[in-house]
Amino acid sequence: MGNRNITTFILAGGKGERLYPLTRDRTKPAVPFGGIYRIIDFPLSNAINSGLRKIYIFTQYKSLSLHRHIREGWNIFSRELGEFIDLVPAQQRIGEEWYQGTADSVFQNINILEDEKPELILILSGDQVYKMDYRRIIEAHIEKKADLTISVFEVPLKEAHRFGVLRIEDDRVVEFKEKPSEPMPDPSNPEVALISMGIYVFSLDVLIKRVIEDAKKIDSSHDFGKDIIPSMIGRDNVYAFRFIDENKKETKYWRDIGTIDAYWEANMDLVNVDPLLNLYDRDWPIRTFQEQYPPAKTVFSGEDRRASVTDSMVSSGCIISGSKVLHSVLSTNVKVHSYAEVVDSIIFENVDIGRYAKIRRTIIDKNVSIPQGAVIGYNLAEDRKRFYVSEGGIVVIPRKYKW
Amino acid sequence: MSKKRILLVEDEENERLLYKEELEKEGFEVACCQNGNDAIESIEKSNYDLVILDIQMPQMDGIETLGKILTKKRDIPIIIYTAYPQYKDQFLTWAADAYLIKSSDLTALKDKVKTILSEKDG
Repeated sequence: MGNRNITTFILAGGKGERLYPLTRDRTKPAVPFGGIYRIIDFPLSNAINSGLRKIYIFTQYKSLSLHRHIREGWNIFSRELGEFIDLVPAQQRIGEEWYQGTADSVFQNINILEDEKPELILILSGDQVYKMDYRRIIEAHIEKKADLTISVFEVPLKEAHRFGVLRIEDDRVVEFKEKPSEPMPDPSNPEVALISMGIYVFSLDVLIKRVIEDAKKIDSSHDFGKDIIPSMIGRDNVYAFRFIDENKKETKYWRDIGTIDAYWEANMDLVNVDPLLNLYDRDWPIRTFQEQYPPAKTVFSGEDRRASVTDSMVSSGCIISGSKVLHSVLSTNVKVHSYAEVVDSIIFENVDIGRYAKIRRTIIDKNVSIPQGAVIGYNLAEDRKRFYVSEGGIVVIPRKYKW
Repeated sequence: MSKKRILLVEDEENERLLYKEELEKEGFEVACCQNGNDAIESIEKSNYDLVILDIQMPQMDGIETLGKILTKKRDIPIIIYTAYPQYKDQFLTWAADAYLIKSSDLTALKDKVKTILSEKDG
């Protein structure tokens, strides 16, 4: 496959507005996930595991946290060997504005393609959780002599309206509609529709031509899904590639974690006995950056004051001190003090939960101190006065919240 | 029908005057700029039907100018008019509607201008 002919672009500019307030101070790809990860660790790990070593990450809104994570955690390549992960903030090199859309971020960085002259460009979204060997889609692209290959995922027909939906004949894409009100069913199974995962392999010339053509249109939103791909159907060789899951479970796993409720559920999945997302497979490791802390610790085993941790993930540096943690995900350096209770919750790093506090169905963002005796998640009307509460009743306490 | 307005961006004075005169003979109204910055400013202020752009210019070259023009007036037709063929390797030049090599005979340029403007009308 020749790695040197493939350049990877990770589009990491997403605002993730529906994940507010987790995205108040950070872009969606930088949102923590599963205790120690950030969402972008998934596409990045997939790329590394697929042998891809030339990676550009396009960033814009609120990218400080993302830049820090990439600098601290992903400085793993040897530039001398032509390997790199480069952060490309919107530099206003051509225009004077932010990236207008996903296609515009490629247009504004067309000089990168000019310098690299890769044969193929793999375009990924920085805000999805899944495990995929990109070599498979690249091979399919080469074999079909495609101009564009789109990775597709099957979803139940009634959920497909939120996505870009494809209709295919053999593997050729004959129709593409972004967020259609009446999604087209998959001919091989009318119960499902094929949706675009936002994962594309482009041949260089076609990408340049289509992106430039789109840049010249006034009425375009300069988006791959809305503008570029529909314009290519019937003109270029566009193929679909059915997602092959490296997660190796019965049901294929791919999550575009769009809402607080979906975020909470995806994290809660991880503490199940047999989670849908397998983080333990050494053949497909997900790497991240984490600060060095001592191992997680539980203290006090008396009858009255006793630490208990069940159905939970607890990261290093945590101290569960005479308190109860049940069905929860704790990031690094979380302290849960005596007689406190944390249930069905997601706690980000550097959170301190005071004595006798009761926390339930709550996401606590980093650097928050919960005062002694605080009760959260038991009276949503009360919680709503101070915090964001999701449709599904999940309370979110924002970063650095002060009582 | 009002005259079609062309913006000519060319740093070399003799060429600039020659092209302007020749295009005016064809019935076009021709405004001139000597560099990319002035061109962008001028495009923001007035409406042109077409831009003719040199590449080798001091300060900002024609390719960078082209990129910036695109983000201001995305649909304005642009002809690159240069003495050098090698800039075709630079992807941004693909955004131009034509890439013509300079010649002492201006027929090719005039023909291209007419074709593009009539297509635009059609």
